[in-house]
Amino acid sequence: MATLLYSANLNDCIARWREEGLMVFGPATTGGVSGFQEVKDAGSLDLDLILTRSTLKELFFPRTEPMLGYRIGKQQIETEEFRPPEGRRIIFGVRPCDAAGMQVDDALFDWDYHDEYWFRRRDSSVIVSIACTHADDFCMCTSLNLSPDSTKGSDVLLRPLLAGNGWQVEALTERGENALASISSLLKEGGDPTAPVADVPVKFDLEACRSWLADPENFESRFWKEISERCIGCGSCTYLCPTCHCFDIQDEGDTYKGIRRKNWDSCSFSLFTMHTSGHNPRATQSARWRQRIMHKFNYFSLKFNVNSCTGCGRCTRECPVDMGVTETLQAISTLQR
Amino acid sequence: MKIVATRDEAPGVRTMRLEFQDPLELEKFKQAYRTGMFGLYGIYGEGESTFCVASPETRNDYIECTFRKSGRVTAALASAEIGDLMTFRGPYGNRFPIEEFHGKNLLFIAGGIALPPTRSVIWSCLDQRDKFGKITIVYGARTVADLVYKQELEEWEKRDDVELVLTVDPGGETPDWKHRVGFVPTILEEAAPAAGNCVAVLCGPPIMIKFTLASLKKLGFEEENVYTTLENRMKCGIGKCGRCNVGSVYVCKEGPVFTAAEVSSMPQADL
Ligand SMILES: Cc1cc2nc3c(=O)[nH]c(=O)nc-3n(C[C@H](O)[C@H](O)[C@H](O)COP(=O)(O)OP(=O)(O)OC[C@H]3O[C@@H](n4cnc5c(N)ncnc54)[C@H](O)[C@@H]3O)c2cc1C
Ligand code: SF4
Ligand code: SF4
Ligand code: SF4
Ligand code: FES
Repeated sequence: MATLLYSANLNDCIARWREEGLMVFGPATTGGVSGFQEVKDAGSLDLDLILTRSTLKELFFPRTEPMLGYRIGKQQIETEEFRPPEGRRIIFGVRPCDAAGMQVDDALFDWDYHDEYWFRRRDSSVIVSIACTHADDFCMCTSLNLSPDSTKGSDVLLRPLLAGNGWQVEALTERGENALASISSLLKEGGDPTAPVADVPVKFDLEACRSWLADPENFESRFWKEISERCIGCGSCTYLCPTCHCFDIQDEGDTYKGIRRKNWDSCSFSLFTMHTSGHNPRATQSARWRQRIMHKFNYFSLKFNVNSCTGCGRCTRECPVDMGVTETLQAISTLQR
Repeated sequence: MKIVATRDEAPGVRTMRLEFQDPLELEKFKQAYRTGMFGLYGIYGEGESTFCVASPETRNDYIECTFRKSGRVTAALASAEIGDLMTFRGPYGNRFPIEEFHGKNLLFIAGGIALPPTRSVIWSCLDQRDKFGKITIVYGARTVADLVYKQELEEWEKRDDVELVLTVDPGGETPDWKHRVGFVPTILEEAAPAAGNCVAVLCGPPIMIKFTLASLKKLGFEEENVYTTLENRMKCGIGKCGRCNVGSVYVCKEGPVFTAAEVSSMPQADL
């Protein structure tokens, strides 16, 4: 016997969680753009989407975030520290690849200096993922040693029932168990069969790619220029990636009052590494694309023992010139042979 | 932090001495600061900028920084006055392993505005002079006016336990210039300090570093005995913003101090 949640009860679950003071977020579409939004009822959820356009990451690491406010008076400077909101949240209907992305950024934000902006939100959120029964051509979780029913980074995993009328429920963490405890009366026991997970073919040999990337000989290979000549440096692939985490710090305001903010940034932008002298270590777009690939599949994996890519495929799906990680790694795979 | 003194070093280059307002913060700084580290210095409304801590760990009840006015933040800092308040985050990064230099001869080589990080090591060593052998300082700038720390250069010149070699690029000399004329690597090769039992500390613009490393090699220096600092663009200083990487190295955390051997194992195109 397994624990089941029938779709018919989802609305009541959301209501129950909200009564307990939890905010409920899930995939939803507004103005044609999908992302994780706060929802009041099950009807607002768009659970058929393969993936939302923007990722879960935004709920933990906003596009722009105030760090401190300042006000300059005649004699003194007053400052106010902004802290991330404390509210507890349930994020329902996450895809396994996005959930796995959380663990990647956990590793970075916990490296040496424990980043409160990230972990306050992380520690007060429950991630409820749904295994995928559908994928598209861009999905490639299996190429990254993940799967459409990966449990990495989730607190609860739901597996769709074959009949399409609900999910089998599995708590993976204590936080997940607590979230389920508050809706226990809405859960049922049953032996309903679950639907098979999506078939996601493996697209490249990750280990072979990694060893090619790790070889210093290949750093200045012509390959980089050839594979990335089309890139226009728009940064979409980094902004839509669940694991990309680079940011800038800027003051917004005037000499008297304002806010010091943390804003998303991207290694695809030419000013990202520009020295004041005008020297730019990554002066060409191909050097910047190489950095993105190297960072994800070589440097990050060396340092944190996890690849900084979960195979969601967004970078390829949304790239205006049809580039992406998939194509690059596939090409590297063929260079191997 | 409060600006307690300022000094104009060269056109557009200024040194500021900063004092902590809060004794607890001062204590934390004293515990943490070691020569070689850097900080993020800021002015509200303009932002933050990375400079080394130019004062040595042997003089740690204040911070000195020397910066060139080159952009938004440095322009704001340049117009700040004594008594004004500014922000400081740090100290961040690693340090020069000065204990490992004990008993050795020291060679300092700096170009232009890169004397500040070198200066912090120079003073750390001069403040415990008996622990080291011969100390040679080779410093060059484009023109006489561009030399920074002119007072200290005079002071070092007068000391008989320091050999100071000053140079300016050809054409940068003035009629009364008494020192060398020529590029740092050439002058270094002429001065020909002995490589045996000697540690070299080298700071300067990337192009100068490149040529000077070649000269040091000619003089017989092993890459393991040459230290330098990398100054990639930084924002966070704590290994999060992803900007300062050279290969898999986060310069803000694993640097800014590296041996030349470490630097040559990094992807050169990323430097
Ligand atoms: C470890 C370390 C130690 C350092 N130590 C020193 C030191 O002791 N002294 C010193 O003088 N310097 C030092 N530097 C260099 C120093 O950080 C820079 O000179 C400084 O950040 C310039 O600051 P700024 O804020 O005035 O320039 P910014 O206004 O921040 O601009 C910096 C540069 O970024 C580019 N840029 C930024 N935004 C834009 C835009 N919107 N459009 C076009 N271009 C843009 C430009 O190239 C510009 O010149 C050090 C750097 C590092 C990493
Ligand atoms: S990449 Fe895998 S986990 Fe992600 S949406 Fe596609 S099938 Fe699901
Ligand atoms: S790869 Fe595509 S999405 Fe990414 S920066 Fe280049 S053009 Fe933009
Ligand atoms: S690199 Fe591309 S496929 Fe990988 S996690 Fe980021 S957006 Fe998804
Ligand atoms: S300065 Fe942010 S990672 Fe190094």
